[in-house]
Amino acid sequence: MFDTEAFIKESVNDIKNKVKGKALIAFSGGVDSTVCAALVHKAIGKNLIAVHIDTGYMRKNESIEVKKLMDSLELNYQFIDASKEYFTALKGIIDPEEKRKIIGNKFIELFDRVAEKEDIAYLIQGTIAPDWIESGDDLRDTIKSHHNVGGLPEHMNLTLIEPLRDLYKDEVRKLARQLHLHVSERQPFPGPGLAIRIIGEATPERADIVRNACFIVEEEIEKAAEKGLIELPWQYFAVLLPIKSVGVQGDKRAYGYVIAIRAVQSIDAMTCTFSDIPNAVIDHISTRITNSMGNKINRVVYDVTHKPPGTVEWE
Amino acid sequence: MGVNMVKVYVIDNGGQWTHREWRVLKYLDVETKIVPNSISFSEIEHVDGLVLSGGSPRIGIETSLGNCAEILEKADFPILGICAGHQYMARFFGGNAAPSTVPEFGKVELTVLNTDSVFFDKVPQKSIVWESHNDEVIAVPDTFEILAESENCKIQAMQHKNKPLFGVQFHPEVEHTEFGVQMFKNFIKTCET
Repeated sequence: MFDTEAFIKESVNDIKNKVKGKALIAFSGGVDSTVCAALVHKAIGKNLIAVHIDTGYMRKNESIEVKKLMDSLELNYQFIDASKEYFTALKGIIDPEEKRKIIGNKFIELFDRVAEKEDIAYLIQGTIAPDWIESGDDLRDTIKSHHNVGGLPEHMNLTLIEPLRDLYKDEVRKLARQLHLHVSERQPFPGPGLAIRIIGEATPERADIVRNACFIVEEEIEKAAEKGLIELPWQYFAVLLPIKSVGVQGDKRAYGYVIAIRAVQSIDAMTCTFSDIPNAVIDHISTRITNSMGNKINRVVYDVTHKPPGTVEWE
Repeated sequence: MGVNMVKVYVIDNGGQWTHREWRVLKYLDVETKIVPNSISFSEIEHVDGLVLSGGSPRIGIETSLGNCAEILEKADFPILGICAGHQYMARFFGGNAAPSTVPEFGKVELTVLNTDSVFFDKVPQKSIVWESHNDEVIAVPDTFEILAESENCKIQAMQHKNKPLFGVQFHPEVEHTEFGVQMFKNFIKTCET
């Protein structure tokens, strides 16, 4: 089994030995980066600087929540709104791998700027096993370039430290519980954010659509779980598809985009089954999405693919 | 690490789930390590058992998986070949592997044909396993017997008739394979003796 206490002790010692001076942590506010920040904070205290970047592809209210979280952890932090930079960098980009690499490179570019100003030599990342496995290497095929591994530039000034590299999400959650972090049960959210839940060009307008749809999916599924109708899935969200379909809205022809709902069960993200969500819950989500997005969305579908052959996210 | 721990290493052929094999072994209190398939036999001859991981399409049927030939030739300890590792094991001992007519991905029902095999001890005759393969074994070597099948893949598991060598097409190391941990326990038991 996984001995959380031993792991915490070992990695705090290890970080103390490795890090001389200040370190920067890429802080998204998810379980991985929060656990990582807590460990490094234990090791080097105020020498840790957490940097949260608002890419413009965050979920509704995400950045406000992350600020609160960084405050509650008493982290020394910087909050960077880089949404305009990201929107510009992703203009016209359709290929999912290109999107991921641009986003990963931009993260490093922004971290480098902070590091230079603050005289920091180390970059801490909450990378976990599936991130480097799926990013591929000399032996392994690239399934998708995770922003924190395959999205990194070839040459980096900062020394990378990844204390959670050999862990899977269920193990990181155990650490989070042991460290009394309230984010322990938070659903995973990919580093590239909503940009990879928009199939096709990730324009600011389309980011708004998928942000609203994700919000509705999260709210309705969490409500159903609270009522005991379903077990809370491992991950649940909406994907905006670039195809249009014909509908009828108020006796008028509609020709709008499609939203796919994705919800999966998993332990470690390496294999998943699609969640068995009752139709009544899907009904609520579907009606709310189509009725609150005017003529933009007139069709909702539910993704019934396991992993493999699918992956959790669509890109 | 304890002195009396069973030592089972994982030969990395580049599979998505190589690290999962390492994790399952670790959770079963086995001394384990992932090593590249280019490793020479002399560096691993002290182990009690080996797992040959899976890898990308065609590598199990077209390549020699790094140094796996030397390992299979010289080893006298138990070896479990998974997916590409299983396909290569079949080819090495004179069987054959080829692209699947119907590749399998995700959930599949496994039927155990030889319920006496140690590998399937305490595993029901029918259970859910997780798959991810484009190729498969189409002929077992003369020295092997077939242990299990699925609807679209007739050689899901095989075993050498008088050596502790096992091959499986499915993936016992992933969470969604119902009795995967039991199969690993069974394999580890053969490594203890």
